Amino acid sequence: MNTTAESCEERVSGEPPSPRLLAPPELPPGGRTDAFWTRLALLPAGTIALVCFAGFAAWTVLISFTDSGLLPDYGFIGLHQYQRLFSSGRWWTTLRNLAIFGTVLLVGCTTLGYLLACLIDRRGGAPIAWGVVFILPLSVSFIVTGIVWQWMLNPSTGLQAVAHEIGWSGLRVDWLVRRDRSIFVVAIAGIWQQTGVSMILFLAGMSGIDHNIWRAATVDGIPAWRVYVTIIAPLLRHVFLLNTILLVATIAKSFDLVLALTGGGPGFASDLPARFVVEHMFERQELALGASGASVMMLTVLLGLSPYVYLRRARGESR
Amino acid sequence: MQSARGRASAVIDLLIIVALGGCQQQINAPAPSFQAPAAGRGEQPIEVMHWLSSGAEASALKVIRDRFDRDGGRWHESAMPSVAAVNAAAMDRLLGGNGPEIFQVSVGSRLQELAKYGLVRPIPLNASELDVVLPDIIAHAAKRNGQYIAIPVDIVGENWLFYNEAVLARVGLQVPKSWDELLQACAALAASGKIPIALGGQPWQERILFNSIVLGVGGRTFYRRVYEQLDRNAMESTQMLEAFRIFGTLRKYVDEGSPGRPWNLATAMLIRGEAAFQFTGDWAKGELLAAGIEIGHGIGCTLTPAPDRAYVMAADAFAMSASASADALAGQVLFMRTVLDRDVQAAFNRVRGSIPARVDAPDAGFDICARLAMSVIRDREAQLVSTGLFGLSGGMSGAIDDAVSQFWNEPQMGAEEGRRLFVETVGAFK
Repeated sequence: MNTTAESCEERVSGEPPSPRLLAPPELPPGGRTDAFWTRLALLPAGTIALVCFAGFAAWTVLISFTDSGLLPDYGFIGLHQYQRLFSSGRWWTTLRNLAIFGTVLLVGCTTLGYLLACLIDRRGGAPIAWGVVFILPLSVSFIVTGIVWQWMLNPSTGLQAVAHEIGWSGLRVDWLVRRDRSIFVVAIAGIWQQTGVSMILFLAGMSGIDHNIWRAATVDGIPAWRVYVTIIAPLLRHVFLLNTILLVATIAKSFDLVLALTGGGPGFASDLPARFVVEHMFERQELALGASGASVMMLTVLLGLSPYVYLRRARGESR
Repeated sequence: MQSARGRASAVIDLLIIVALGGCQQQINAPAPSFQAPAAGRGEQPIEVMHWLSSGAEASALKVIRDRFDRDGGRWHESAMPSVAAVNAAAMDRLLGGNGPEIFQVSVGSRLQELAKYGLVRPIPLNASELDVVLPDIIAHAAKRNGQYIAIPVDIVGENWLFYNEAVLARVGLQVPKSWDELLQACAALAASGKIPIALGGQPWQERILFNSIVLGVGGRTFYRRVYEQLDRNAMESTQMLEAFRIFGTLRKYVDEGSPGRPWNLATAMLIRGEAAFQFTGDWAKGELLAAGIEIGHGIGCTLTPAPDRAYVMAADAFAMSASASADALAGQVLFMRTVLDRDVQAAFNRVRGSIPARVDAPDAGFDICARLAMSVIRDREAQLVSTGLFGLSGGMSGAIDDAVSQFWNEPQMGAEEGRRLFVETVGAFK
């Protein structure tokens, strides 16, 4: 059975090479092989990737071992910045918040996105029209989302104030200003914004599912929800993976949402590592301390993705 | 099958386009409009990068510009929306060897670092003449190796208490002269259903309130020991404990919508009569003027209660890029001379709402608060540093904000814990 997911995998990994490439190469007029030209064409992109991603990341790690203030300075002082970083109560708060924010956003977007995709997929009628409704928030920038949600949820100006005005004085919508809850507000706003992406990914995956599966399920009398949970979800595992990778990237860089929504507050109760890093690098003349925070973030993301790399390698060997 | 794959890849293409579009915007956005200088037309025009972009600020800048034009200079502007935007854009271009000839900067550690790396040009004006007319701590922060590296144009003060006269009168209250009176006034206001204090709940605003209390409890000598000498004994003293006690008591006199609120919305609460007091800098006067309120008529201002007169200051200044061509030097120096002019400083600050950096500027035409501030800073002992903008390194100043804000936002934290947190956080950055 050939599903979109599997063909996607082939396209992405490119291994094993398709038979056509293994055939004896027909030499083009210049006497070079296809493979050569392919590599040449990829050279600029590869260089950019190497310099911009690997190069700059390595430079950031390098800076984290120095005493740089406003500008890079190459006086190496070992792990001192990391000591300062991990003795900062605020840094620990940002890590805890990242864990909460990341988990809620990842689980929320995936579950909700898949659920919406299932509902739209089964309607059959005009899925794209419905899809548009949920993908629209994505076209709004995080800054705008943050500010609008802030207006709605601030107890003195938003929903709570309106409810109190019309006499419903029991309603409390004050999570935004509560130390222990504000990070959840950020996560919920993030879900509102990002669910559309997950949904559209799942929809795209579902449209490639073989119709015979549905016929077989109907014949066997399996309810639709079970088909989605036990048959289609496993078939879409690569879409789930793609979705996770996109969300992890969103989570790691989510700086603007928290900035606009809570400003990291109350105090720094909803602060995230990215905001800590940016603030120390660009406002507090603590380039090296910020770089050490960024290095820790990068390490976290790498650790998070390592099971994926491991899985792929294991599967590659079993083939 | 084929169409499904097509759809999936179309979606991915779309995502990529959106992402790229976003990048492009970010790259394009901060690029300042830079007109190529027309060759062979008299004096070389210079570029002035600044954050004086709001209504009153832009009118204030025009005062400098008119004088500069009159004296034969020419400049083109790169106006930026915020301090951070100027810092980022100026820094990028300074490092690229293409710095704007003149850029705005706050005197303090950032400026000193720029000078350390040779990115700003020492100003060829007689330093000893300037020393006489500028407040000592500002002159000190604007100099490196005995030469000025920036010319301050204004002083903003942070220890101001703004109050709504009508709200106080309704409860039968006078303007508090001490922190005890202030606490009593807050209790009475809260009992009458008003919000006693309109506080913008961002770390730097919470710190402004706290620093006013430190000054109020310990006086200016104590403030200096804590924030200029970073004296650990002073930080661990009973005065600090008392400051944290008062600060902690004030938590209940602030409405629950405070976290994250910008200062101008807090000022609006004062204007609308929802709240009685606001602790903020004299920039609030701009908001009052924009609302058509004359200072002292409806909204009053006074220095925060303190045993002796003092002014917690920060200063805006202009610096010259070292990478500018030699031809531009004449324009750069003319600009600095213009900014330094006593009458220009007076006119600029009358419009802006702050006070001149020169202590000898005439105070005619200034409002009552500004005149008070101008008389206070003539006393050298009354000149105190703002921990936010200068006097301390960026990391230290941020650490103070962190400690103060954490204490403020954790209501269960008592004064002793607050003092310990402060000493530890600040100690970690020493």
